[in-house]
Amino acid sequence: MKTYILTRILLTIPMVLIILTIIFFVLRILPGNPVLAMLGPKAPPEVVKSMEHQMGLDKPIIVQYGDYLADIGRGNFGTSAYTSVPVIQELMQKFPATLELTIFAMAIAVLIGIFFGTYAAYHFGGPLDVAARVYSIFVYSFPVFWFGIMLQLVFGVWFHWLPVSGRSAPFMIPNHIYTGLYVIDSILNLQWGVLADTLRHLVLPSVALGVVISSIFVRMVRSNVLLSLSSQYVVASRARGVKEKRVLFKHALKNAMAPILTIMGLEFALLLAGAVLTETTFSWPGIGNYLVTRIGYRDFPAIQGAIVFFALFVAIVSILVDIINAWVDPRVRY
Amino acid sequence: MKKYTILMVALMLMVSVVSIFAVAAKDYVIVGTTDKVTSLDPAKAYEYFSDNILQNVMTGLVNYVPGTTKIVPGLAKSWEISTDGITYTFHLRKGLKFSNGDPINSQAFKFSIDRAISLKQNPSFLLADVVKDVKVVDDTTFKINLKYPFAPFINILAFTISYPVDPKVYRADQVYNGLPVASGPYMIKQLVRGQQVELVRNPNYFGEPAKTPIILVKIYRAANNLYMALLNGEIDVAYRTLLPQQFAQIQQNSKFTSYVGKSPFIREVVFDVNVKPFNNPKIREALSYAISRAEISAKVFKSQVAPLYTLIPDGMWGHKDVMPHYRPSKTVAILKSLGYSKDNPLEISLWYTPSHYGSTESDLALTIKNQLEATGLVKCTIKYAEWATYIDYWTKGVMGMFLLGWYPDYFDPDDYMWPFLESKASPGMGSYYSNKLVDELLMDARLVSDIPGRTALYNAVQDTMVKEAPYIPLFQGQQQVVAKPNIKGILMDPVQIFRYYLLYKK
Repeated sequence: MKTYILTRILLTIPMVLIILTIIFFVLRILPGNPVLAMLGPKAPPEVVKSMEHQMGLDKPIIVQYGDYLADIGRGNFGTSAYTSVPVIQELMQKFPATLELTIFAMAIAVLIGIFFGTYAAYHFGGPLDVAARVYSIFVYSFPVFWFGIMLQLVFGVWFHWLPVSGRSAPFMIPNHIYTGLYVIDSILNLQWGVLADTLRHLVLPSVALGVVISSIFVRMVRSNVLLSLSSQYVVASRARGVKEKRVLFKHALKNAMAPILTIMGLEFALLLAGAVLTETTFSWPGIGNYLVTRIGYRDFPAIQGAIVFFALFVAIVSILVDIINAWVDPRVRY
Repeated sequence: MKKYTILMVALMLMVSVVSIFAVAAKDYVIVGTTDKVTSLDPAKAYEYFSDNILQNVMTGLVNYVPGTTKIVPGLAKSWEISTDGITYTFHLRKGLKFSNGDPINSQAFKFSIDRAISLKQNPSFLLADVVKDVKVVDDTTFKINLKYPFAPFINILAFTISYPVDPKVYRADQVYNGLPVASGPYMIKQLVRGQQVELVRNPNYFGEPAKTPIILVKIYRAANNLYMALLNGEIDVAYRTLLPQQFAQIQQNSKFTSYVGKSPFIREVVFDVNVKPFNNPKIREALSYAISRAEISAKVFKSQVAPLYTLIPDGMWGHKDVMPHYRPSKTVAILKSLGYSKDNPLEISLWYTPSHYGSTESDLALTIKNQLEATGLVKCTIKYAEWATYIDYWTKGVMGMFLLGWYPDYFDPDDYMWPFLESKASPGMGSYYSNKLVDELLMDARLVSDIPGRTALYNAVQDTMVKEAPYIPLFQGQQQVVAKPNIKGILMDPVQIFRYYLLYKK
């Protein structure tokens, strides 16, 4: 187990390195000079030159690349060319918003997946099963931004039930920020009004994102539960007269959960990709929104930083999931 | 299961509880926009939104009377101009202070003007081209000497580039990235890029305090996000920029009040006169006949823009309709005389940038392409690039024909002529147009100070545009504001300064 975890951690290094290298060179091949983007077309050549020098853009690309790797190695993500603020500081400020959104979206996806999937398997071949299968195909084909706009239209514009943009109403921010996750911070601050407001803002974006990725969970849970329902321990417990509900949730579902955990780990990557679109649709101030904005400004350090951050995040989550998996399911051994 | 039901009901109740605000609703107004802040250093800020924020948190020696183009004293209580038009002597009000308590004095003005010139940022030419030096006389008196008499100079002093900065906070050799030290009605309490700007009253402002204690400017990614938030009541005011069809719809909506005003914003086609085939003025002239501005306005902008036939906007003195109106037969005649035919059409590319000017831009480009191709002698390919790339391309001369727009820096025809047509300035616009006679006329118009004399000179410059056609002016924008009916103090300003400090809730 220990060697496995160690190998996994070591393997993330080349993975991040590859991503970093690709993004580094792609950014430099793309047309668009970050200095001109910042200074505008009227900037005199000497100012452009000195700015390029300041940012190290006048060095050969390979030297720039070496410098960048060395900086990353020291945990230095550079300084944003657009705001002159250290990139890591900006990312840490935006990250909790993305994390909060993805956690809630994941929770919604898993909940839908477990309930819908389990019942579909239980009623195999029945109308509920057909409904579940149709649902998952239907939902899987939703573009998240379209679904998001539909939710905004119905629950925001038509019914005025829920807010459609941002993380909080004006002045409804926790007094003291401990974690950056407003749900937790507002509880720690005992600000119930802020908690309610935060949850209200979370509903639509996390439902949009959660529903779209729930389809995979519905299908996974369904087929896994089907498999365990046909196994002998289920037959045995039924023979012993165990109640159906108990058979389904305690025996069949529990054993079906292990592969679902693995999928959850993989889904996180998809979830983050979806988060970029969800954040732009709901004006959610997270890393996805940050990334899209900075691409427009050719803010090299910020774009690179955000992408490396995403990569690291996915890698860490999948390692964690593997560890949890090994711990939950004694059969899993590496 | 019961436990869970109770828990769910409790949670739902909690969520549906109407939130109790820490700040009274009357004390703030929320303005939504799709604009983005770039720099808030007056020496660098040079696009609409950043300048507009500065116009609310800083102020100049002189100001415009809200809603007019009339110049009145600002931080200066009075000034004199020498008879030769070279020396401006300013007398500051007594006891002026920045928001942090530092004094606003002659030294601060000298520092700020010298700094804006030496930093050589985008707008620095506005001062650098005309200011020779600044001399401090005493704490409240100083002189600005010009290189030559320049009639619209007083208007430049009302623009953000001339606003004073605190010498104790801003460095002479570096662009400042912190929150501005305010001299205007508001100061910035918090700025979260791409998200929101929080303005609060500046206690040290010399003038009448802002009507509302707090203004929250919420920044949305795109028109759709802004529109949804507006319809859902999350913002009080939407200013820049809804799509034309969204604005048209909201005008029918009785829950909102919409405001429309003339805008000094213009849009134009730029020709890089060094790029083939646009180096031939005949080609440029021919294309200028093929564009139907009426169709553009109606089709792309739901008639919310006004056709424009010169660079100086309608409503400003000096404006003269010179450019040809829609006459495609003339295009055909010129192109035929140059040897083009149906089998041998003129092949060109038209460039646009998809987000900088809003989501209508691709429709605009497509409409122009179709109009050109309707002549039967042109084959037009549409190309686009994001703003950062776009700038790169026009400085490198990649694009021969492209769409651009212009907001004035100071309210004077000079600002619609000089940056476009003067030989040293036109590369900044990507045109590289150069004409000795035009240069002389433009310089003369700067030196002369009476309006009839200057009008005659600008008319002459505009007349040359017909044959030379380095630009095809397209239309003049419209200021559009949507607000909840209880929001008052919205002013359609001819200079398009959006004054947050006049907004209030009724």
